[in-house]
Amino acid sequence: MSDLEARIDGESVTPAKGWRFEIIDPARGIGRLINGAASMPVLVEGKASDWVVTIRGRRIPVTVRSWREQVLAGAETATTARAGPAAVRATLPGLILTVAVSAGDPVDEGATLLTIEAMKMQNDVRAPRSGRVIEVSVQAGETVTTGTPLVRLE
Amino acid sequence: MPPFSRLLIANRGEIAIRVIRTCRELGISPISVHSDADVDALHVHMADASERIGPPAPRESYLAIDAVIAAAVRRGAEAIHPGYGFLSENPEFARAVEAAGLVFIGPPPTTLESLGNKLAARRLAQAAGVPIVPGTTVALADDPRELAVIGFPLMLKASAGGGGRGMRRVDSPDEVADALVAARREALSAFGDGTVYAERLLAPVRHIEVQLLGDRHGRLAVLGERDCSIQRRHQKLVEESPSPAIDPGIREALFDSARRVAGVVDFHSAATVEFLLDTANNHYFLEMNTRLQVEHGVTELVTGVDLVAWQIRVAAGQPLPDAVMHASSRGHAIEVRLYAEDPYNDFRPSAGRITAWQMPAGPGVRVDAGVAADTDLQPEYDPLLAKLMVHADDRSAAVDRLRRALDETVIGGVQTDAGFLRWLVDDASFMTGSYDTGLIDDRWGIDHPLPDEHGALAAIAAIAVRTATESSPIRPPDSKRAGSAWAEVARRRALR
Repeated sequence: MSDLEARIDGESVTPAKGWRFEIIDPARGIGRLINGAASMPVLVEGKASDWVVTIRGRRIPVTVRSWREQVLAGAETATTARAGPAAVRATLPGLILTVAVSAGDPVDEGATLLTIEAMKMQNDVRAPRSGRVIEVSVQAGETVTTGTPLVRLE
Repeated sequence: MPPFSRLLIANRGEIAIRVIRTCRELGISPISVHSDADVDALHVHMADASERIGPPAPRESYLAIDAVIAAAVRRGAEAIHPGYGFLSENPEFARAVEAAGLVFIGPPPTTLESLGNKLAARRLAQAAGVPIVPGTTVALADDPRELAVIGFPLMLKASAGGGGRGMRRVDSPDEVADALVAARREALSAFGDGTVYAERLLAPVRHIEVQLLGDRHGRLAVLGERDCSIQRRHQKLVEESPSPAIDPGIREALFDSARRVAGVVDFHSAATVEFLLDTANNHYFLEMNTRLQVEHGVTELVTGVDLVAWQIRVAAGQPLPDAVMHASSRGHAIEVRLYAEDPYNDFRPSAGRITAWQMPAGPGVRVDAGVAADTDLQPEYDPLLAKLMVHADDRSAAVDRLRRALDETVIGGVQTDAGFLRWLVDDASFMTGSYDTGLIDDRWGIDHPLPDEHGALAAIAAIAVRTATESSPIRPPDSKRAGSAWAEVARRRALR
């Protein structure tokens, strides 16, 4: 157990001292963090090294790895860091309202690539980084599901 | 005797369930409707029967007038409750319901017509002697010179809009041309009517509304106010009654204005008159909604009046009794809306499946929910999951109760606004009741770094669970509850 390391956003996190965790509803992942007179309900979802812990309504992705997994993960990151084209995918299902870019356009990080209407709201899909648009895979009026590739950046 | 024997609810989610509950209490058989996306929804299972009305897209189902009326006729319903949103303020629908020989639970179609047009409503309020937000009372021309007189910043609003949609802020004269084109296009695509008008942007202001209930015999009950100042994208997130911002004199002035507006329209059933209140305590008419509001439960908690029950009874011709006419407000109620929205990312909608769903209970807590564990969120519809309401003797006790209730709330699978709400109950401006409509922009803001202590606590929980799920020689979790190692722990505990 002492072998396990927790990371949030890539940063190693030292577990809080003095708290213990008690399982309440294992089927749903509900437990409670307790420290003397203080306690709070916590939801833990996930498996293996990928967990999401909900504390006070906020979902916090936590990576939990053994020493061996850390070494393996380090090697993997080294090979993907140089990765070339980046695919921008739909993070929620919806209707493509507008497409603001076409193949060949240079875009800055944060630029609006297209807008998706989902749950009665218009959502801008923005460029994760600067680069040139290689391909736009969708057009206005099209319905997409989560994970659908939208735009490829050089 | 029940006012009707069968009633069809032309809506979905929590509000359909809300109406079903009152139907049960009144001895009315509730019939629900559903789109193909909602075959397995909670409101379908809770009704006596449910009729399919079309594909998932609202335009082809919950907004399809003919399909809804055909469903009501097929099932022998005598009345239709429209809930809020969808067809609730559609005069064409109200007319079609009456033409089919059924009772529309709401005001007459002509009233829906005159109030549904925000510009007409502004003129109406003005004629009734009620102050309106400074701005235009006729549609804007292409080169609107009157905007300079109104002053900047101002809001362009769709005359056919509502519910915070079809609004656009304009900060300076050189933005007008572009904003006008965009506002018209938006209004046309969202409401089928490109008419826009302008209002001065008042800030800081509070948003306070007055609940009305009228019968078909000319009686009008004023059931207190609700303060709905905590909003994102001009849509409400938190509502409370009474408003912590007003004294009895201001309250009476708001009630008087609400009565005046109601007095010039042919109105019965439940309605809300919305006002803005500035720091000098001047109030301005915003709009009148002639339907049940999302936040009606707050009023029900403090007055003890079941608004849905009286909507139904009034529709059947019953007069409002003195107990309703003179209902007084007791204690303090607060509602928070649980939305599938990410408050750490500008309140954008979250998609997915609800994995865990544990709602609070106990003294003074009411939850109106439209989902449960294992519900898949439907991207076609409003992301409202549930309304959590608390009632206590005074505001301070109500805030403490709300904090307790939020701490009991567990929602898994999707990010909700619960994180914002839990922050809110400890915010100084909320605790003192001194907030205005700018609270989310000014105090919640955009950047939300994870507090170190929460990260450290998350680390404990995640390591503890990984350890617990791996310390067993039993086979790895099967795929029944994919993605969860907990099922395995549950099994082991059961075997102990």
